[in-house]
Amino acid sequence: MATKEEVLQYIKSLAEQKVISKDELDSAYDSGSGIKTDVVLTKKLGVAKILYYIGGAIVFLGISILLWQNWHTLGFGTKVLATLGSGIAAYFVGLLFSRNKGTETVGSAFYLISALVTPMGLWVVFDNAGFDASSYGTQSLISGIMLGTYLLSLLVFRKNIFTLFSILFGTWLFFSFTSFMIGGGAYFDNWKFYEYRVLVTGITYMLLGYAFSKNERASLSGFLYGFGILGFLGAALTLGSWKPNQNVFWELIYPGLVFGALFLSVQIKSKAFLTFGTLFLMAYILKITSEYFSSGLGWPLVLVIAGLAMIGVGYMSISLKKKYLSA
Amino acid sequence: MEIIKKNITLILGISIPILMILFVASRIYLPGLFIKPHFNFLYVSGDDSYYYYNNGYQYSVQNDKLVKNEIKQLENQNYNPPRVESKLYIYDVAKNEAKEISFAEAQNLNLDSSVKSPDDFEVVYGSRGDGFFPFLFWSERDYNSRYLSGHNVSKKLNLQLNGSSYYNNFRFIGWIK
Repeated sequence: MATKEEVLQYIKSLAEQKVISKDELDSAYDSGSGIKTDVVLTKKLGVAKILYYIGGAIVFLGISILLWQNWHTLGFGTKVLATLGSGIAAYFVGLLFSRNKGTETVGSAFYLISALVTPMGLWVVFDNAGFDASSYGTQSLISGIMLGTYLLSLLVFRKNIFTLFSILFGTWLFFSFTSFMIGGGAYFDNWKFYEYRVLVTGITYMLLGYAFSKNERASLSGFLYGFGILGFLGAALTLGSWKPNQNVFWELIYPGLVFGALFLSVQIKSKAFLTFGTLFLMAYILKITSEYFSSGLGWPLVLVIAGLAMIGVGYMSISLKKKYLSA
Repeated sequence: MEIIKKNITLILGISIPILMILFVASRIYLPGLFIKPHFNFLYVSGDDSYYYYNNGYQYSVQNDKLVKNEIKQLENQNYNPPRVESKLYIYDVAKNEAKEISFAEAQNLNLDSSVKSPDDFEVVYGSRGDGFFPFLFWSERDYNSRYLSGHNVSKKLNLQLNGSSYYNNFRFIGWIK
């Protein structure tokens, strides 16, 4: 049995002779380490695959327009058949296509149709049953049913696309259910409540992204890190509010959060953390200088200082990217 | 234990929104169990003489008593609002229901026309978050519902209204001392 060093040396010499490619090495490593590569989202999206998803979205658009244009002429049965029926049918077509590796991406496009159309079908059913279909209570029911369906699908079929749909419908359920609990009562400032919920969603996405980064769901990490850090830093910045209603706690803690994100970008090798960390640091510099220093030092001088600070932030960001995140 | 340790970030990620839901629930429902409003209030419906109805008078509180003030309105050839008799109601905060009373009965009440009751509650409009997350979301006043709000407690009122449920068709008069 050859030692690790001998194997690596052998691979190096094979690479020099161009006998073996990086992709072949990767797939050999993945099959040995048990990482499933048959999940669709791990593959780079080609033009054809993007077209599948665009096609799925257009099918959804077609059904929506059919319903919208003929709402009063179509009977309940037809409406349910066009929406819930198509949604369920698309789900099973997706299942059939997913069984064959060659048609797996087409299967995902059908799953997308199902995820978009089924909530509309449930909406039609609840509307007909006399519920206020746009109320938060009904939205909670619809998103809860969808979340349950996709969690069950994930448990049975273990496909990444169901993880993604579970996260999206879980987010919808979180927002609609908390809004439903509040009702019309004046418990919280509505905007602040939205901001805190976006903040919590951002933290959740980042934690899920990190949890998935080391298993077969690693392909979802980029998406989760991106939206997570965007929601988290965006919500924290707006929670700081604006003079004279500013929140000193959030304004003081914000640089710590941004630098934390920049530090983590190196640790977890996330370009999304670096990009959004840099952009939000720039936004914070502009916000704070215009909020507090525009009257004392004069607006032009403040702009010069803010501009120089941004050049510094940009330089730091590029250096970090080159040093730690370049493949 | 090993599974928990291995999936700690996943568990944390799922727990945080659940903890927030529990926090919101406790913030909404717990104070209501311990803090109850004590002061009933008097309100009038159908009293919006300028915009909607024309009954020639309006109620107010003077020296802690209810009085009826006559209103002289300008003749307007183009706009003749319907004549509707306004009605007075006592809102029982313990039973969460409204009961109509006559002007003569209401005159015997001792009223406090302050916005806030002596135990720091007030009648406010509801709030409404409209839109369909994640595509649109905003919030605004819900002029069709009123709440009794104070000490982090918010209780929806079952108001009886005289005629339309148009938002101007309710006017708070005073807390009953």
